[in-house]
Amino acid sequence: MTLGGAIAALLSWTVATRAQSGSSISAASPTFREVTDEAGRTVRIPQPVRRIVSLAPSLTETVYALGLQDHLVGDTDYCDYPPDAQKKTKVGGGINPSLEEIVSLHPDLVLVTKKFNRLETVHALETLGISSYATDPHTVDEIITSSKKLADVLGAPEAGASIAEVMQQHLSNLQEHIGALPPKRVLFIVWTQPLISVGKGTFIADALRRAGAVSVVDSEQDWPQVSLEEVARLQPDFLVLADSHSDSASPAVEVLATLPGWGIVDAVGNRRFAVISDAVNRPAPRIVSAIEDLARQLHPDAFVEKPKSSNERIEKENPPPGQRPASHDSYSPDALEGYLTIPGGQACAH
Amino acid sequence: MRPLTLRRLVLQCSILVVILFVVVVIALKFGAVPVSLYALGRDLLRVVFGQSSQISSDYGLIVVNIRLPRILLGIIVGASLSVAGTSFQALLRNPLADPYVLGVSMGASLGSILALIVEPHLTISPLLAALLTPLGAFLGAAATITAVYFLGRREGQIDSATLLLGGVIISSFLSAIIMFLMNTLSGNLRGLSFWLMGDLSTPLHKSAYWFLGIGFLLATGAIYTTAADLNMLLAGEKEAMHLGVDVPRVRLVVYIAASLLTGLAVSVSGAIGYVGLIVPHAMRFIFGSDHRTLLPTAALCGAIALVFADTLARTVVAPTEVSVGAVTAVVGAPLFIYLLRRRFP
Repeated sequence: MTLGGAIAALLSWTVATRAQSGSSISAASPTFREVTDEAGRTVRIPQPVRRIVSLAPSLTETVYALGLQDHLVGDTDYCDYPPDAQKKTKVGGGINPSLEEIVSLHPDLVLVTKKFNRLETVHALETLGISSYATDPHTVDEIITSSKKLADVLGAPEAGASIAEVMQQHLSNLQEHIGALPPKRVLFIVWTQPLISVGKGTFIADALRRAGAVSVVDSEQDWPQVSLEEVARLQPDFLVLADSHSDSASPAVEVLATLPGWGIVDAVGNRRFAVISDAVNRPAPRIVSAIEDLARQLHPDAFVEKPKSSNERIEKENPPPGQRPASHDSYSPDALEGYLTIPGGQACAH
Repeated sequence: MRPLTLRRLVLQCSILVVILFVVVVIALKFGAVPVSLYALGRDLLRVVFGQSSQISSDYGLIVVNIRLPRILLGIIVGASLSVAGTSFQALLRNPLADPYVLGVSMGASLGSILALIVEPHLTISPLLAALLTPLGAFLGAAATITAVYFLGRREGQIDSATLLLGGVIISSFLSAIIMFLMNTLSGNLRGLSFWLMGDLSTPLHKSAYWFLGIGFLLATGAIYTTAADLNMLLAGEKEAMHLGVDVPRVRLVVYIAASLLTGLAVSVSGAIGYVGLIVPHAMRFIFGSDHRTLLPTAALCGAIALVFADTLARTVVAPTEVSVGAVTAVVGAPLFIYLLRRRFP
């Protein structure tokens, strides 16, 4: 057999079996629903969605928050929250997932984000007859609506509505505390060497605004590289770092203080750091707890114990939903984190 | 140089085709998802007997729709890079020349990226838009090889060391421009860093394989018509001219065809290094330096090498994938140093 002949035979094989495999998929799931995703694509999604593969940590977190973790059959190497997500079948990284692994999981739907996954991956899935749905939130409000819409697509609209309500409630309660205060000028540090911060169009910049802060970096770029000189010129009140182990002694901060050149930044000399959970890096419901945590660190005075009457006044003006225990009105980030991820926590304990 | 007989050429190529077939079977079997050799053999037999409809859809989708297109791409890209490398080595009379070392791959990368940047601002038909990236890659490759050629010329003769240095400098200059573009135009170019290192993982539209295959055959055919002239060029440009070779014409044909091969390969797979350098050497070592043998055997061996490297790339730490360019560089760079030491003691 010549090379040309071999290639021709293999090509005809491709054509023949592609047609065959396509028909077997539609036979297995007869009903489809057409939705427009946040990348503007019209996608056909098999109904009901029983098998989900997530290609971004934020989407994995959202699936858990919606209580749909039993339908999650695969996620990425970077999906580490809640801890139970680490036990799911891994399909590789978000940028270069293994298509084979995804196919072998027989997903009804693959979840992607427009920002962190590659367009080529989506095209490849399309060619293989696998539906994908893209999210693309740019603000905290859009994270809420995006989660809600995703819940709807996944067939859990009630869970989506209640998550959205909890998030809104927490944010508006937070607004009660710090809304009137002047925002702190902060530098959000994505990466230290080189120094990378966030642009104004990112959801992180919006999360900072919600926490009573404003980024000193005003860039059109999403992930601008900033020089130390520029930081020294801007002199932020606080440096904000996200750490996956924010509860530990924050070694990242200590390292930062010893880096050459950082002494010219006043906030370093004055130890004006705010270390929050890396949930702030993920456009998922848990970001609200990171926002609350940051607000508490930047505006501690706004959170000192108020007289009981004041608390009651707030509750009267913003009655919490009936099903929600009163304890959730306390501004403990842990409480929210627990609420938003109870399903994962339980699954982990089992 | 032993006289070329058709029988010997066919025999040499058949051996390589058999090896390619074995490597393809290995590449089809191994991957993130295990597929048994039995299932693979059964499915292959069903294809041969025209019963493709009986192939189990489970592995069919993975083997046929993911691994096979990737192997096909590896065959075309590997063969293209090897033929381009063989041509550059002959024309520049430099055994260390290759699209990657000379910066031609980087020129093609920059051309592709510029095409990607320009494309959304143009109102052209989808077909033209799809052709814009390979066209940009071809123009980038052609411009780079022209620049490197003039940099490497001294008093009418090509100076090996200057040529290689010129290639290295131009390559780093071009990659600096690419870095600049990626830093300033964030967003849609971010995924490119993965492609830049060399990547075969993205399946293409079916028509793209035909486009690549036909482009490869035309360009390789054009180079093959000059094979006898390339043999005489080994003695030197002046000597070849005295022997009646139309050197400027050969140079033009081979540069354009080799740029086309590099451009096509880079536009679909990024800058994969060292395949075009090592493979022609191995073939010259085994089969001799007659380009009438060297060109087809290098094409086949390039296909074998890249399919094998890509199989490693997607299995060593599965399901996470390594860039195939990293695999070829890990193997190729030490071999390059060995060849360099042997040539310039």
